[in-house]
Formats: sequence, structure tokens, C-alpha cells
Amino acid sequence: MDLSFLAFFLVKGLEISAPIAYASLGAVFSERGGVVNIAMEGIMTVTSLALVWGAITFHSIWMGLLVAVVSGMLMGLLHAVVTVSFKVDHVVSGVAINVFAVGLSRFLCQSSFGQETQSAINSRMFPSWLGINSLAFWLVPIVALSWFVINRTVFGLRLRSVGENPEAADTLGVNVYLMRYTGVVISGALCGLGSCTLFADKWISGMVAGRGYMALAATIFGRWDPVGAVLASLLFGYADTVRIVFETMIPIPVQFVQMFPYVLALVVLAGVAGKSRAPAADGRNFEKGEG
Amino acid sequence: MRSRGSVRNTVLERAAPFIGFLASAVVLVAIVIVLGENPGRAFEAIYKFTFSNAAKAAQVLSVSIPYYISGLAVALAFKAGVFNMGVEGQYFVGGFTAALAGIYLKLPPLIHIPIVVLAAMLGGALWALIPALLKVRRGIHEVITTILFNNIAVALVTYFVNNPFSGIQKGVSLEPQTKKIAASAVFQKLNGLFRAVGWNVPDYVYLDYSLIVAVVMGLVIWFLLSRTRSGFEIRAVGTSIDVSRYAGIKVKKVQIGAFLASGALAGLIGLQEIFAIREFYTYSLASGLGFDGVAISLIGRNSPIGVIFSAGLFGFLRQAGYGLQLFTKVPNSVTYAIQGLMILFIVVINEVLIRVVRALRKKEAL
Repeated sequence: MDLSFLAFFLVKGLEISAPIAYASLGAVFSERGGVVNIAMEGIMTVTSLALVWGAITFHSIWMGLLVAVVSGMLMGLLHAVVTVSFKVDHVVSGVAINVFAVGLSRFLCQSSFGQETQSAINSRMFPSWLGINSLAFWLVPIVALSWFVINRTVFGLRLRSVGENPEAADTLGVNVYLMRYTGVVISGALCGLGSCTLFADKWISGMVAGRGYMALAATIFGRWDPVGAVLASLLFGYADTVRIVFETMIPIPVQFVQMFPYVLALVVLAGVAGKSRAPAADGRNFEKGEG
Repeated sequence: MRSRGSVRNTVLERAAPFIGFLASAVVLVAIVIVLGENPGRAFEAIYKFTFSNAAKAAQVLSVSIPYYISGLAVALAFKAGVFNMGVEGQYFVGGFTAALAGIYLKLPPLIHIPIVVLAAMLGGALWALIPALLKVRRGIHEVITTILFNNIAVALVTYFVNNPFSGIQKGVSLEPQTKKIAASAVFQKLNGLFRAVGWNVPDYVYLDYSLIVAVVMGLVIWFLLSRTRSGFEIRAVGTSIDVSRYAGIKVKKVQIGAFLASGALAGLIGLQEIFAIREFYTYSLASGLGFDGVAISLIGRNSPIGVIFSAGLFGFLRQAGYGLQLFTKVPNSVTYAIQGLMILFIVVINEVLIRVVRALRKKEAL
């Protein structure tokens, strides 16, 4: 294996990991605040369409990014309204939003592009660096920033406190609802950013292909820590890269190679379970002024 | 004797699906108007494609069969507090094991048909086994594991259909598929029976043995949940794990049981398509039926009876979508968005109504 191939593999792997990594960072914000976000799969479905639509409509990929991030925040807001304000079970809301997102994106795609399952071609790309989407490299400063925000700022402390013990946080004057809303909306924005590293040339129904769920697995494996979550995402992403790069070279049936990232995720989850502790109030609703 | 207040509370508690349905209908009308179409014309198109004659109504029933089984599978797991998002994968695997039994066993129809049904249930339950064990033994959330298993299932059946069990003759270009199902295992249509009782179901509509399977499973699950000890335990675990444990219920055992039973039901979803419509197995079976089941179960409030209505609603919406597509400017895909919206409405309204009822009870108690 020569050096240029290794470099290609390393860089390609980063690009393939990026959508999962951004989403798992999002999950960290949401879940540290106590809201389980299974809706990320659906949010990314919508934001990946929003990216292509924005880029084509406004003739700029950066407008596409903006539309994707804003639509992600709106979808996050929807999940926050349903779970935080209306106190629906987080998994039920997430599942419902995922179903809604599939329908919404297909409907919007058909309304804007005349086809239900794929959009028109978008020729505007993000600038590339070392042969891949440069947005993948943004991951490094964004992880650092996320770590800093969660562990070293007042906001981060408050966010973590409502995820661990909302009643106590409330007593100390922290606005639990506001914190939780913020966490979920940030996760929506990061999902939007993540879908910008997916494929920008066209939207196809189902192209998120479980990355939202893989991101959740990465968050658990990464122990709800920004750096850990991203490292876990890289593991899954590189497993997928192995599949893509070696699919045609390995003498075992291609379908078994395709299973590899999923089996790896399962094994990792089974291995890490019990050692990884969720925020104490993760998935639990908070009712102000009762009891 | 029930007081008037308790009757009102019961009505309120069950009203969410209906209010949610009405709210989504309002949204549909709004979308139709925004798209520049006359709502009257849209409703006419929907009516034409769903209930305007016996054939159309029978078609709605026919497409509702897999929806019902899928909703029932998800509902049973939900009752025990298990989120079985793996119905999709269990349906692919269960359908495949059933197809193998249907292709390679040589049996008289009277035995062969029940055997393929059992094989479907076995395959589906098998595919739910590892996520079930990972949940109760290692505490890994089943939503993630079952989704991963769905992806593995698709790859696995794709491999089987392409390689060891491929039924494609050389030189004939067809999508990858298995050999044909043996004649003794093919699900016959019941259309003649319906015609005999005066319902004019045309030959092209599939009202086959899978309808019987759906009805029987619905009855069994209803009986299990509302009339047996296991059913009581399932509902108890779904309501509160802590209380159940305190009451001496073996929570893990109940959850594994409900999870496997849910998988077994999921295995039956593909029977109609594999054994009646196509008469062979392919990995390109209708995808998404498993996820529809989640929506159907939530809209039907996770009850075997409620799911009858929500599955029928999905069948109706599917045909309605075709009607809209054909006769109006409204795209077919609007029905998918409406389905998603309806679940959101229902879960939110449900939560609101529960609070209203609780407040009313408090007031009465004072």
C-alpha cells in the first residue's frame, strides 16, 4: 500500500465520517440537556433537501448551507415543542417526526422539482480541499468549540444541569425549558451542517440512510462527550470507508462487506454498554411547578 | 355505576385520534387550496378512488392488510414498553424464511400454508432475538439496535436472493429473485367467497389468505392482551416497569416475550406480496411497511382494535393519493406528509387531553 493511497483513505474517511460526526455532536447538545433526539434522521432528511433546494434557488451553495441550517433548527424546534412543552415521550416524538420528515421531503421535492424521490442536479459545490468537501475539516474547530461550550461556559453548565437534575436546576433559577429548547435547536442546526457534508449534487429520497441513528450510537459510544462522540463517529465512518474502498477487492460477497459498519456499531454498543452513563434526566420530561 | 364525569373523561381520553384526523384533514384542505386546486374536486377524486364502488373499496381493504399486520406488530411491542423499530428488517427476514418453506417443501396445501405462516413468524422472531437480548441484558436502546438490524437484514436477503437461492434462469433478465413458490403454498383469493355474500370483488383485487391471517392474529392479540395473565403483565410492564417489578412480574422475560412476538407478527407482513401477488421472493418487496407500522400503531393508540381503523385509514390514504395524483394538481406525496403530521397531532393532542382529564379528576376529587 503506497503513501498516496493511505492519504486518500484517511482524507476520504474524514469526509464519509463528517455527516455522522456533526449529527452526533448535535445529539450531545440535545441529550446533555435531557432530550433524546431520535428525530435526527428525519431532520437530516429535510436539511439535505433544503441544502440542494437553497443552492439551486439562490444560485449559491452558501445560501444552501444557510437554508439547511435554518430548516434544521426549525425541525429541532418542532421536536422541542412536542417534547419539552407538550411532554410527549421523546422517542415517540422522534419517530413521528421521522415519518413526517419522509413525507414532507417527498412532498416538497415533488412541489419544487416535479419528482417525488429525487431533486434536480445542483452544480454548485462547496470548495474542496485535499480533494474532499472542505466542510469536513470544519469539524475540528467545531468539536473544540462544542467541548468548550459544554464544559467551560455558564451556558454549558446550565445545559448539563437540566439534563442531570432539572428540578434542582429549576430551584436554582435556571430556565429548564429554555435550556432544553436551545439544546435541541442546536442539534437541529448541526444536523443541517452535517447534511452539507453528505452529497450536495442532488437529493435522493432515503439518502440519509440511517446516519442519524448511527450518530446516536456514536453518541452513546462516545459517552455523551463531544470529543468522544466525534471519535466514535470517525470509527463508524472509517468502517464505512473500508467498505467503499475495498468492496470490490475483497473476495467475500459484497453484501457482507456492506454489513460491516452496522455489525461493528452493534459490537461496539454491546461492549460499551453499562460503562457508558447517560445524563440522569435524559429522556425524562420536566413539569414546572408540580409536586 | 359510572358517573357522568367518568364517561366524559373516557371519551376525552379516546378522542385524540379523531381530533388529530380532523386537524390533518383541515391541513390537507389548506394544502389543496394553496396548490390552486378546488377542495371539492379533490374530495371527489378521493371518493372516486376509494369508496365509489365495490372494486375500489375492496382495493382499500386489500392494501390495508399488510398495514394492519405491521401496525399490530409494533403495537404489541409498544404495549410492553418496547419500541420495535425493527419491524422492517423482521418483515424482510420473516418473508424470506417463509418463501424458503414455500419453495422447497413438498406438502399438501392444507399443511403447507400453515407451515409457511409459521416459518414467517419464526424468521421474524429470530431477527428480533438479538436486539431483545441486547436490550434486557445490556440495556442498549432497542431503537438503535433494531435500526442497525434492518440494514443488516437488507444486505443479508439481497445476498441470499442473488446467490445461494437465486431463481433466475440464465439469459432471462429479471430482477434478482428466488424460484417460484410451490403451487401448494400459494395464497388463493377469497374473492369468490365475497361475491357469494353479495360483495362484488373483481378478480384483480387481492383479498387472499393473508386477510385470514390478519384477522386471526388480530383476534389472538386482542384476546392475549385483554383476557390473559400474560397480556396483563405486558400492559403492566408497558405502564410502569418499577411498579411491575414491585408486583413480582418478571419484567425482562415479559419484554423479551413481547419483543419476539412482535417480530413474529412482523414476519407475516410480506405474506400477501410474496405468496399471493408475486409468488416469488425478492429483496425489492414494498419497503417502508415496517415504519408505516409505527405510525399506524401510534394513530391506533397501540390497540388491536384501534389499529384496524388506522390501518384502514392508511389504506384509504394510499388509494386517495392515487386519486389525487390522477385527477387533480395535488401530488400523491401529499398523503405521506399528511400521515406524518397526523401522528404528531395525535400524540400531542393525546398528551393535552390526558392533562385535561387529570385536571378534571382533581377538581372532582376536591
